[in-house]
Amino acid sequence: MVIDALSDSLGLTFSALADPTRRAILARLASGDADVSELMKPFALTQPTISKHLKVLERAGLITQGRDAQRRPRKLIGVPLRDVAEWVEPYRRFWELRLDSLDGYLKGMTAKEKRRAGKA
Amino acid sequence: MLERLNMTADPGSTTIVMTRFFDAPPSAVFEAWTRAEHIAHWWDPSGAPLAVCEVDLRPGGSFRWVNQGDKGTEHSFTGTYSRISPPDELVFAARTLPSGPYSLATLSFIEDSGGTKFTMTIECQSVENRKALLAMRIDVGTARTLENLAVFLHKTGRTEESK
Repeated sequence: MVIDALSDSLGLTFSALADPTRRAILARLASGDADVSELMKPFALTQPTISKHLKVLERAGLITQGRDAQRRPRKLIGVPLRDVAEWVEPYRRFWELRLDSLDGYLKGMTAKEKRRAGKA
Repeated sequence: MLERLNMTADPGSTTIVMTRFFDAPPSAVFEAWTRAEHIAHWWDPSGAPLAVCEVDLRPGGSFRWVNQGDKGTEHSFTGTYSRISPPDELVFAARTLPSGPYSLATLSFIEDSGGTKFTMTIECQSVENRKALLAMRIDVGTARTLENLAVFLHKTGRTEESK
């Protein structure tokens, strides 16, 4: 059950991240909170378009809405991005070990060839 | 010193890219990947030779590499070759994680200042696969630390005589 919930939220994260504009919005929020009008400027998008993207990001749990007196700044949440990194980690561990092993093997072969060439 | 494995994953797609430099020419790295007598001596990170190492190197041919392991820890890596272009490209379909789904792996070997820039691209079939993989939570707890491994493999590599 826990795993189901986890995979589902990861699916949401992936589809939210599939859009380049949404990734750009996240990158912008990584450097500080911003409200809709602040986000509109760099992306040259209309307010409804920005709002639509923000909703998708919010549903995926990637951002949250803060409450200021006047503005409602959006804030980046790191947890779903960490889940993506965790997904890649088993691949890294599996392949890093094997490629390190290959590296050691190749170095051994090269050393042997040099020795052989030296004797000849 | 260990060379770093560089790894990137585009969260919006289903592709993982790993790059790494090897201090040997592409032809040597390609051979190490495609000849059973070589694979048998590096595939198992513990340094032990493989118990089974079958290689049918032709498009549509399959391979099966099984390490010795202790009881219950044997692992077999199997797949099917789809493109073989020595010395710069090798493509096969395999489970690129022990109990993961099948994915297509494209290996490229590019000459770079006397060595080889190695790039491995893994294309998972769908985002669903990624979810399945996460759910499986592959057990990698038995892996040695990389530092021990490097020392060990260097020693093994030097004492091995293939001919």
